[in-house]
Amino acid sequence: MRRLIAAKKGDRQLCPLPRFCSKAGALGRGQSSLSPFLAALLSCTALWGQAGPYQRQEVDPAAASRGKRVYTQFCINCHGASAKGTEQGPDLIRSPLVLRDRLGDQIGPALKKLANHKTDLTNAQVADLTHFLKDQIEATAKNRNPVSPPNVLTGDLEAGRTYFNGAGKCSTCHSPTGDLAGVGRKYSPLDLQQRFLFPRLSQPRHVTITLSGGQPVSGALERIDDFSVSLRDTSGEYRTFSRDKNIKVDLSDPLAAHNQMLDVYTDQDIHNVARYLESLQ
Amino acid sequence: MNRGMKRLAVFLFAVTAFGQVSFPEAWPGYNGDASGRRFSTLSRINQSNIDSLSLAWVYRVNPGRAPQAGGGNVNTTIKGTPVVVNGVLYTTIPDHVWAIDARTGREIWHYVWPSKGGWHIGNRGVAVLRETVYVETPDCNLIALNSKDGKEKWHTQICDLEQFYYASVAPIIVNTSVKNHVITGVSGDDLDIPGYIESHDPDTGALQWRWYAHPEPGTPEAKTWPSVEAMLHGGGMTWVPSTYDPDLNLLYFGTGNPQPVIAGQGREGSNLFTECIIALNPDTGKLAWYFQPSPHDTHDWDAVQTPVLFDGEVNGEPRKLLAQASRNGWFFLLDRATGRNILSSEFVKTNWTLGVDAKGQPIPNPAKQPKPDGALVTPNQGGAINWPSPSFNPETGLFYANAARAWSVYYLYDDDDKPEGWGGNDRSGFSEAMVQAIDYKTGKIRWSHKWPGGGGGVRSGLLSTAGKLLFAGDPSANFVALDPATGEPLWHAALHAVVSNGPITYELDGVQYLVVGAGDTLYGFAMRAR
Repeated sequence: MRRLIAAKKGDRQLCPLPRFCSKAGALGRGQSSLSPFLAALLSCTALWGQAGPYQRQEVDPAAASRGKRVYTQFCINCHGASAKGTEQGPDLIRSPLVLRDRLGDQIGPALKKLANHKTDLTNAQVADLTHFLKDQIEATAKNRNPVSPPNVLTGDLEAGRTYFNGAGKCSTCHSPTGDLAGVGRKYSPLDLQQRFLFPRLSQPRHVTITLSGGQPVSGALERIDDFSVSLRDTSGEYRTFSRDKNIKVDLSDPLAAHNQMLDVYTDQDIHNVARYLESLQ
Repeated sequence: MNRGMKRLAVFLFAVTAFGQVSFPEAWPGYNGDASGRRFSTLSRINQSNIDSLSLAWVYRVNPGRAPQAGGGNVNTTIKGTPVVVNGVLYTTIPDHVWAIDARTGREIWHYVWPSKGGWHIGNRGVAVLRETVYVETPDCNLIALNSKDGKEKWHTQICDLEQFYYASVAPIIVNTSVKNHVITGVSGDDLDIPGYIESHDPDTGALQWRWYAHPEPGTPEAKTWPSVEAMLHGGGMTWVPSTYDPDLNLLYFGTGNPQPVIAGQGREGSNLFTECIIALNPDTGKLAWYFQPSPHDTHDWDAVQTPVLFDGEVNGEPRKLLAQASRNGWFFLLDRATGRNILSSEFVKTNWTLGVDAKGQPIPNPAKQPKPDGALVTPNQGGAINWPSPSFNPETGLFYANAARAWSVYYLYDDDDKPEGWGGNDRSGFSEAMVQAIDYKTGKIRWSHKWPGGGGGVRSGLLSTAGKLLFAGDPSANFVALDPATGEPLWHAALHAVVSNGPITYELDGVQYLVVGAGDTLYGFAMRAR
């Protein structure tokens, strides 16, 4: 109860244009006459925020499927195939009223008030419709993740082969019949593109420590910072050296050539090489 | 010199270049003083004695066993800069505020907000005015607490969870000759919603004004969008605290990415006022000027990094300056009275521009916008710098950024004429981290200290002091002091986790303290009088 009262208090403070703060038009209208209304609507969005315990409506896939049929029959002409709006009807993914709706508690009454809307939908149909719309909203909110991997095989195979053996200098260290034999089978095209751009080391870097007047100590790098360097020597012992003035550190960087190429590649090079690597089946 | 005279001397010494007063015995706000320089006049800890710095206390936050709203584990990483007032240090994680004895590290009180949800990615800290502590919550509330006991005075809603907003920024106190303000910002970029900044009455929480990060329909700036609808859903979140110049009575802050974030084909144009450095009158919320570091951004390079204010000399003329090292890899020097650009230069090498326009704003290269088959871009989405604070040292004239040179491939997933949400993303690859010391007069890198042994994306803020020290976190969980003139590492402490916030310093009873957060723990170092 405390939270409910507080939310109302906040609502009053948040609405600078109260004359626009009616629920009736919350589904919006055509864009041409919408701008002052939308601006006011956005200013008033908190009017409906936190009206109850916050929990997004969980999408029921079966209900969303039924709701899609309702949407296709009654709504799609004006609001568009993905509910993102058309010139005839506003975007429903971005609608504050739809966002705050739970199982039709907002959309149901709004449908009855808005002109040219289907007013004889049953409560069950309205609820199904909300599942469809919520499904669209959740998909939009998560679309930083791809539905399917992007197609990166847009380059020219022969140009990729030429680059591999020429300007790219890849053949200096790699061979299509040696270390890269069958690489096109081993990785997806997207992973191939990422791995040749940003290869990872399969084993630790090699480091040699030389103390003034002492014998060099070599091994696999465990860690290094400005103050110490740690390695595991050939006997398996973990050793740490302070990086003072009396120490010389020689650290291999097997990926240096790759990393330097990042300033050289064109995007076309990248697509061509990915296409060529994918051909190494 | 008696105690009162000592205090007066410290007080006078702390008068900053443009008339502000800071209190060395405190760290009164997110950036210390309102300038955003994160430069302390304290010098008890200095190059000659840094090796004698001792650990005074350790405080590990314990949020208890209450589950995090929305599920998952409680995010206990301290990403906020502590505020120190009257010997009390205030620190936060989302939904939690602790008051700690700044001398001993002992807990005084712990406040827990019963959250309804929102993204618990982090909290940047509190603001304090007299006996009130202000904090924002992930579920869109501004809360006022009694500084003595942590009891709630009031709370008020500042954004709408239903539209996928959340709140994470540290509020800022701005006291003008007209009235006092608590400045709040908002976060959220899952859906296409407009960003805004608000001012509230410190006593009641009442809204004083709200400024949206988009132009008014019909204004010339509105033509930077293809439609009113795109503009009103165009993003521009305000999730890093503001700075303030009392002489000009201007509030400065940055705005975040436009929406949709990656798929920009439905919002052709420069998309004002997203990706902008903004100057507002804090009494009215009216726009004074804007400068846009990333016109038509499609890489999530929020231009929210602290706009740092200082007075300096350019071509022999004294100038009121504002500098930003922006997430897109560019350093900008502006006249903070007018917003006019003085200098634009890369502080790490980038590959996404075709140069700068007549206003000094980078021109994005269309070839480096996200593509269905990928575009190789530097910096990556994390940026050449992110929210961690930079530092400007008036003694060296250098602007320091804990930076990264990072590469990734940007993919466009949604090629629809009207994409929404993100519609694409990047996949990151190679990166390296470094501190860049930028000469503000030329934009050139005076020195660069590359951190060994780690990738990019260091999330540590910086602090420089009159003790000729520059403090930073490295990627190897060290808290490091560098020579601000050369970048040479002088001292370090190995912590249990990488530094996760901005270090602060303050002096109490003749002891200078240095406090830094790493993960869920604050480390308090001290240098006692000798």
